Amino acid sequence: MKVSLNAIKKYVDIDISTEELIKLIGSRLVEVEGSEDFSKKYAGIKIVEVTECEHIPETHLSLCKINAGETQNIQVVCGAPNVRQGMLAVWLAPGCVVPATFGKENFKLDVRKLRGYESSGMLAALDELGLGSDHEGIIEINPEDARPGDDFAEKFDLNDVILDIENKSLTHRPDCFGLIGFAREVAGILGKKFVEPEFLMHEEVFPEGFLEYNQQNGVSSKDCPIKIDIKGSELCPRYSCAVLEVDDKILKTEKYLTKDDIFLAKADMQGVSKIVDVSNILMLETGQPLHMFDYDKFIKVGGTETPRIIVRPAKEGEKLELLDGKTIECISSDILITSNDIPVALAGAMGGANTAIDENTKRVLVESASFSLYNLRKTQMHHGIFSEAITRFTKGVPAGGTFNVMAEAVKELGGKASMVCDNFVGLQKVEPIQVSVKDINSLLGTNYETDLIIKTLENVGISCEQNESSELSVLAPSWRTDLHIKEDIIEEVGRLLGYDNIVIDYPKRPFIGAEISPMLSLKTKIRNILSDKLNAHEVLTYSFVSKKLITTVNQRVEDSYKIVNSISPELQCFRQHIAPSLLDKVRENVKAGHNNFIIYELNQVSNHKFGLDEDKSPITKDHLAILSFGDFYHIKNIIEKLFKNLNVDLSIKTFEQKEEFPYLEPLHSADLYVGDKYIGSIGEVKQLVLGKFKLSGEISILEINLEEILGKEKSGAKKLKVNKFPFVYRDITAKVKAEFSFIDLYSSIESVLENNNLISEIKPLSIYQPENNQTFKHVSFHIAFSSAEKTLQSDDISAIMEQINKNLQTLGAEVV
Amino acid sequence: MSTLEQLKAELKALGAEYAKIKTLPESERKDFGQKINDKKQEIINKIKALESEQTSANIKPIDITAPFGINSNPIAIETGSKHPLMVELDRVIDIYSRMGFGVVESRQLDDEFHMFDALNFPKGHPARDGYDTFRTEEGFIPPAHTSTMQHRVLKNYKKNLDNNGQIAVVIPGRVFRNEDVDATHEHTFYQCEGIFVSKNATFAEMLGVLKNFFETYYGQNLKIKTQPGFFPFTEPSIELLIEKPKSLGGKGDGWLEMLGCGMIHPNVLKNAGIDPEQYKGFAWGGGIDRLVMLKYQLNDIRYFESAKLDFLKEF
Repeated sequence: MKVSLNAIKKYVDIDISTEELIKLIGSRLVEVEGSEDFSKKYAGIKIVEVTECEHIPETHLSLCKINAGETQNIQVVCGAPNVRQGMLAVWLAPGCVVPATFGKENFKLDVRKLRGYESSGMLAALDELGLGSDHEGIIEINPEDARPGDDFAEKFDLNDVILDIENKSLTHRPDCFGLIGFAREVAGILGKKFVEPEFLMHEEVFPEGFLEYNQQNGVSSKDCPIKIDIKGSELCPRYSCAVLEVDDKILKTEKYLTKDDIFLAKADMQGVSKIVDVSNILMLETGQPLHMFDYDKFIKVGGTETPRIIVRPAKEGEKLELLDGKTIECISSDILITSNDIPVALAGAMGGANTAIDENTKRVLVESASFSLYNLRKTQMHHGIFSEAITRFTKGVPAGGTFNVMAEAVKELGGKASMVCDNFVGLQKVEPIQVSVKDINSLLGTNYETDLIIKTLENVGISCEQNESSELSVLAPSWRTDLHIKEDIIEEVGRLLGYDNIVIDYPKRPFIGAEISPMLSLKTKIRNILSDKLNAHEVLTYSFVSKKLITTVNQRVEDSYKIVNSISPELQCFRQHIAPSLLDKVRENVKAGHNNFIIYELNQVSNHKFGLDEDKSPITKDHLAILSFGDFYHIKNIIEKLFKNLNVDLSIKTFEQKEEFPYLEPLHSADLYVGDKYIGSIGEVKQLVLGKFKLSGEISILEINLEEILGKEKSGAKKLKVNKFPFVYRDITAKVKAEFSFIDLYSSIESVLENNNLISEIKPLSIYQPENNQTFKHVSFHIAFSSAEKTLQSDDISAIMEQINKNLQTLGAEVV
Repeated sequence: MSTLEQLKAELKALGAEYAKIKTLPESERKDFGQKINDKKQEIINKIKALESEQTSANIKPIDITAPFGINSNPIAIETGSKHPLMVELDRVIDIYSRMGFGVVESRQLDDEFHMFDALNFPKGHPARDGYDTFRTEEGFIPPAHTSTMQHRVLKNYKKNLDNNGQIAVVIPGRVFRNEDVDATHEHTFYQCEGIFVSKNATFAEMLGVLKNFFETYYGQNLKIKTQPGFFPFTEPSIELLIEKPKSLGGKGDGWLEMLGCGMIHPNVLKNAGIDPEQYKGFAWGGGIDRLVMLKYQLNDIRYFESAKLDFLKEF
């Protein structure tokens, strides 16, 4: 939103530098995103008279002589169709920067030849001045407004600074969407009393020429032939209107550049005709949008002599042709203005074609109303209308000011209203808010005096009454629809007096250790082990994946939570597992030259099968997924090392979770358990699945649910393999049938060592199978053991080895 | 200068001198012994000095600037890496922990109630649109801010207040906004929320806590600045800016917008069963991605979720 400082200065005396003012606005009202000094942008531009004008043959150009006051007979070549002798134009002299390029390319004019004719600078069109889009012809100045040689910026109020306001953080302040409201805030920030414009001050006083009306029962005078019928006061709390006769002067587009054009241009709007400009300017000043109907068309559409304005919700699918020629189909949250129930406008958004003002309009119906911002938001989104008016309506135009602004519009358009009507059925009485000085200071942590607080609030139109016990009874003005509770008032005090003036403090707290989240500590531990000890790389990937990815890994799309407003099909589903996302990232990294890496991710997953929690929100689970190059045993090694470091007992069991892990090769996969709890699975990714990712070779993954590991750390000291007595080292090889389970051999040896109370370690050395005989395999172990009580003698050792051999033989193994 | 061989021969010869001790009168033995000992020590020192200078036989000089030796294989000592966002988040949490804040992680699928209703967003209010939320078919929301956890945390820790204590919790988590991705916008990013509730929490205390956090984080004293903000769940609400720290090239002039914060709206406390007349609180929330981008002068946010090892191996 653009705010002109000159416009603000009309209402408040600013006695600090622009720089300081911008800082203050930034710290006490809203972020100022930027500012543009128009006095620099429009420096040196002159109003000139075209004294001679001759067409240059075989071109579209004219050779002109201009009178620039002090200097005359300056030659300028001009290509505009409307250039003619005797007109006043705007001249950019050599040395001037074309304003439209100011601060960008900074195109500087000079004396140069055009088609062989020397041209000093140029005569400007509106777009070249950066004041509009018009490039039909050059600007023409009314001789009544200026003389040749006059400074353009001075004559047209362009020695101004335009602030660019970040209005996203003002959505709760409809009043600040008008220059007057903004100026009121500036006064408040500067600690100055704001002088309300006369026309906004008294709701019960109307300019001369208005018909009497009474406010009883919230409806207009019964003498007025216009009847306003509002179906639902929450849709339209107030609807004010007046009928006035107009002459065609205010309906036509003005030939000359006017100050109104400039005023509008500063807000990035463009002048059209007097009648449109008046309503736009009043909107910019007050934040209250107005709409103008052709009154005679309005009656005709309704088909009655006594017009009945019915404001009602639209029927689903109801059609209306708008001013811009488009016919819309309404949704039920749209609000329609109707003439005797025939739609004539989409409330707050756009008028209907059937009641549009044209050059033959004789009487105008001026509408000034307040509509439900909720409905208008939907209207805006559904129909894609983003006008200045609807932008304001969607902030909630206060009902208090509709009549005053309408009255001012009538005054500016000639002041002859023949009928006036006001239905304020939804106008709410403002209730006082009770707040004590202590409330204010104890929430802010300040020591503001009562008088200062009252003055600060009253400067912005919030009235205060003080009782004996420093309790304030505060009455918000009608335009402050955002003030309801005492905290709102406290915010006003803190903000207007400057949060930066508050002296910082620290909470007092007891020396009690803060709770550490067990899940967070677990994740940190896992991260430390995987990245620092196992050389894995932590990655983060999106929580949203494509349906394609889900089907690629054979998961069921119907199990996923689906995003209805996803950015792209790539991000349509909330992921069920992390591992597929990791798989999806392998190829790109391989192409970048990385091989044999381990990547992992700690993140949340969810799916319909998890169900809802006690709050009825979807249950999400913290998962760990690891991806490694190599076969099953690679990933198995990683998970075993991880769990050994976590000091959690892990068991690896036969793969049964085929449905949960449909992308794993069943014969090369396993389920993981902690105690009797299933925590996840590991395995090789199916070759068919790898192929879909354009990968080959062996890639293994694991995915586990971290919640099942929480609190499962083994208690007590870890058993260490250290001893003061020497260790004995022996190798042993067992020949067994190929399908014989490794763990049985291992356990058999382990049990002997344990039964003898030895400190021991069993290291598998090799699992060998000759190519020509696959019915057997040779499993070799390297065994280390020692006794905690003594140095083992050869007799002891032989006895132990004997037992081991015997045990293995009992299993059916042949010790070789 | 004697050679090593000469010195070794001298040392051997000295051994013979010891035998002479016995032949000397008792009174001279001590002095003589001392002399030989000194002499011996002197030779040993010389030998040591020479030996340390000497190179082994057949050793050729090497190029210490090369990554590996001539005709040797490249040496690859692989190291793992942690994601920079997670490392930074850990640091942030660590500072808050040391300040006395507990930690609760945010969730990645939530509902309209926690995301908006409990936080005092009026139904259908335009402020809801400002969050560009994603929605699932069931109407659930991948949260657009970690504030989605405020209600749960207030409710769960209300017992602290009942036991004359305080609520002091930070909530890190992944959040989502329906935004087109470019160098400075991501639909997925990380935030850290903070909540403090006590009998007499003040706005001034909020400024103190946050100033102290950033001073600890950047390891220097910092000026702070405020900007009025609007959040339905805090009143008053502000945006907090800090002076650009020296480590980021700050020279005491620039400002960085760090987070939004404010005094918890009485309705939010009420919704969680906490009496706003008795208890006051403040809350804040800020992005983590930006901290990392500033730290490493990273100009493209898309690296974070790219899983590109070229990027990750830098950390």
